[in-house]
Amino acid sequence: MDEDTEMYLMLLLSDGNLPTGSFVASSGLEAYVKHGFFGIPSSNSGPTRTSSLTSSPSPPSLTRSTINFIRDSLQTYAHCSLPFISAVHDVCRPVKDESATGAADDALTSLKELDDLYESMTLNHIARRASKAQGVALLTLLSRGMTRPLWLQDPPAGSPDKSILLEKLADDLKLEIRKGVVYGHLPICWGILTATLGLSCERSKHLHIFLHARSLVSASIRMNTLGPYAAQQLLLHVIRPLIDNVVMDCSKSQICLVRRSPSTIVLVDPTVDDEEENGPATTWPLGEILGARHDLQHSRIFNS
Amino acid sequence: MLVPRQAAHGKGRAVLHASGTEAIFSELSYQYPLKLLSPDTHADIPLAIAYILSYGGGLVSGDRIELDVDVGLHSMLMLLTQGSTKVFKTRSRGSHVSTSSISNASGKTTQSLTARIRPNALLLLLPDPVTCFESSSYSQTQTFYLESVSSSAVILDWFTSGRMARGEEWDFERYRSVNEVWIAGRRIARDVMLLEQSSGSRHSPTSQLDTPPYIPLPSRSLADRLRPYACYATLFLFGPQTEKIIVSLSCAYDALSQMQIAQPDPLIWSISRLTLKEDSAKDSEDSLHEQGGRGNGAIVRVAGMLTELVRNWLRASLGELEDVVGVDSFRTAFA
Repeated sequence: MDEDTEMYLMLLLSDGNLPTGSFVASSGLEAYVKHGFFGIPSSNSGPTRTSSLTSSPSPPSLTRSTINFIRDSLQTYAHCSLPFISAVHDVCRPVKDESATGAADDALTSLKELDDLYESMTLNHIARRASKAQGVALLTLLSRGMTRPLWLQDPPAGSPDKSILLEKLADDLKLEIRKGVVYGHLPICWGILTATLGLSCERSKHLHIFLHARSLVSASIRMNTLGPYAAQQLLLHVIRPLIDNVVMDCSKSQICLVRRSPSTIVLVDPTVDDEEENGPATTWPLGEILGARHDLQHSRIFNS
Repeated sequence: MLVPRQAAHGKGRAVLHASGTEAIFSELSYQYPLKLLSPDTHADIPLAIAYILSYGGGLVSGDRIELDVDVGLHSMLMLLTQGSTKVFKTRSRGSHVSTSSISNASGKTTQSLTARIRPNALLLLLPDPVTCFESSSYSQTQTFYLESVSSSAVILDWFTSGRMARGEEWDFERYRSVNEVWIAGRRIARDVMLLEQSSGSRHSPTSQLDTPPYIPLPSRSLADRLRPYACYATLFLFGPQTEKIIVSLSCAYDALSQMQIAQPDPLIWSISRLTLKEDSAKDSEDSLHEQGGRGNGAIVRVAGMLTELVRNWLRASLGELEDVVGVDSFRTAFA
C-alpha cells in the first residue's frame, strides 16, 4: 500500500464519530475518579523515587492525575491487546492470496481461537462487555461503511481488489458472532478491519493505542476533569511519546497457540506456548479492580 | 530467616485419593529445596492437608520448583504454606551488584504447579502471600485442570509490596504470575499478571527521528502504579463446592453503591462471574452475551493497604468453606 493511501485510511479511521471510540467508554477512568484516586498526592515519598512527573513547574493536579491514569491504562491495555492484533494480521495475510485454497477456513478457525483466548484473558466483566460491543460495531462498520458501493465502477483492470476475500472472512465472523458462538472482541475485530483495508500491522497497532488514548482524553473532557484545550495540548505534547513507548514495549510480544495436551488429559482448546514469557499480560491489577467496579457507581455517564 | 544456599531445581508430586471417609496419598514425593508435609487432619471427611515448604524459608535466584498434584475422585486437598513465600535476590558476597548486570533469565526464581482435579474433587490452594524482596525476579505458572463441571477449586494467589518493615515498597524487579484454569478441556480463564519495574519510557525514540520532538516523561515505577495498596490478591472460585461463596459475594457486591470519595478506601474488591462457553449456543441467543444463568465460577480481586486487611477480608468471605472442610481445617488455613 502506498503511503498516500495509508495516510488517507488513517484519517478515516481516526474520525471521532466512528465506533473506534470517543465518548463511549471510559475504560475505568470514571470509576478511578469516583473511588478517590485523583486525590492521591504525587509521589515523592523517598529519595529513590525518580518517577511520576518531576518536571517543574508541575502540571495542575487534575491534569497530572489524568496523565497518570492514561499511562497506566495504556500500558496494561497495550500488553493485553497488541499481541492479538499482530496475531490477527498474521492470520489474515495468507487469505489475501487466492491461490491458497482453504486459507479462509483455516483463518476463521484461528480467529475463533484467538477470540476465545482473549475472552479467557479478559476477566473483568465490564471490560469484556465494552470490548464485545465495540468489536461487533467495527465489523458492521467494515461491511456497511468500508466496502465498495455496488453502484461504483469496478477498479481499473490490473489492480484486482484483494480485500474481497478478507471482507468475506469478516462477514463470516460477524455471522458467528450473531449466532452467539464467537464473542467478537475489539482487538480481534480491529485486526480484521485494518488487515482488510490493507493497513500495515505496525500502523494498525499504533493507531489502536492512539484511539484508546484519545478516548480516555475525550472521557476526561466529558467528565470535566480536563478542558478541551488542555486535552489537545496533552495529545500533541504528552501522549505521543507514551504511545510510541508502549507500542515499542510490546513489539516483541506475541501469541503462540499450539495443539498439545498434557498426558491423559484431553483439551479442546489449543494451549498457549509462553516459554519466553512475552505473551499478553495484565500489568495493572489496580485498574482491573476499579474497572470491574464500574457498575457499582451510584451515578455514572459511561458504560465502562 | 533465610540460610544462604545454592539455587536448586526441586520437583514434587502428590497424588491423593479418597477411601471411604479418608483421604490417602498414594504418592507424596519431593526433592530439595522443596518439601511437602502432611499433618493428620483428624476429620471424618476425605480431606488431606499438605504444606508446601522450602528449605531455608524462602527461594533464591535461580531456584526452580515444580509441583504436580492429582486430586482423586471425591477427595479434598488443601495446599498451604507456612508464612509468606519470600523471594530473595542473590548478590555476590558482600557487594551490592547493580540490578541490571545480573538480572537475566538465569537469575529468575520460578515455581510451577500443575493440578488435576477429578470429578467431585476439591482443591483448595490457600497459601500465604508471595513477598518479593528488593531487586528480586519471580515467575510462577499454575495450571488447573478441572476434569468435569463437578470438580471444584478455590485458588488464592496474592503478593505484597515487599519487606515493609525495611521500607521496601514495590522495589522488586519483576513479578509474573500465570493462573490458567481448564474445565472439561476448555480454557475458562488465563490470568497473566506482569509487574515489571520501570517498564516503558526507557526506549530511545524511533531511529528515523534524530531529534525527538518531545521530552519523554520519567518512567512510572511499580509503586506509582500500585499505590496506595500494599497487597493484591486474586481468588478463583470454580465448581459446585464454591457456589455458596460465589452467591453471597455476588449479593454483597451488587448491594454496593459507590459515591464520590476524596481518598481511596483502605480495601477494595471486585468480582466477575466466569461461565463456560456453550458449544451448543446456537439455540440460545444470549447464552454467550449475558452474565446470567448458571455460573461455573468467579474471579475475585482484592487490594488492601495492609496485608492483614486483605487476609481478614478473605477469611470472612471464605467462611462458608467451614461447612466443606470443617472448622478446624479452615482455621488452619487462616491461622
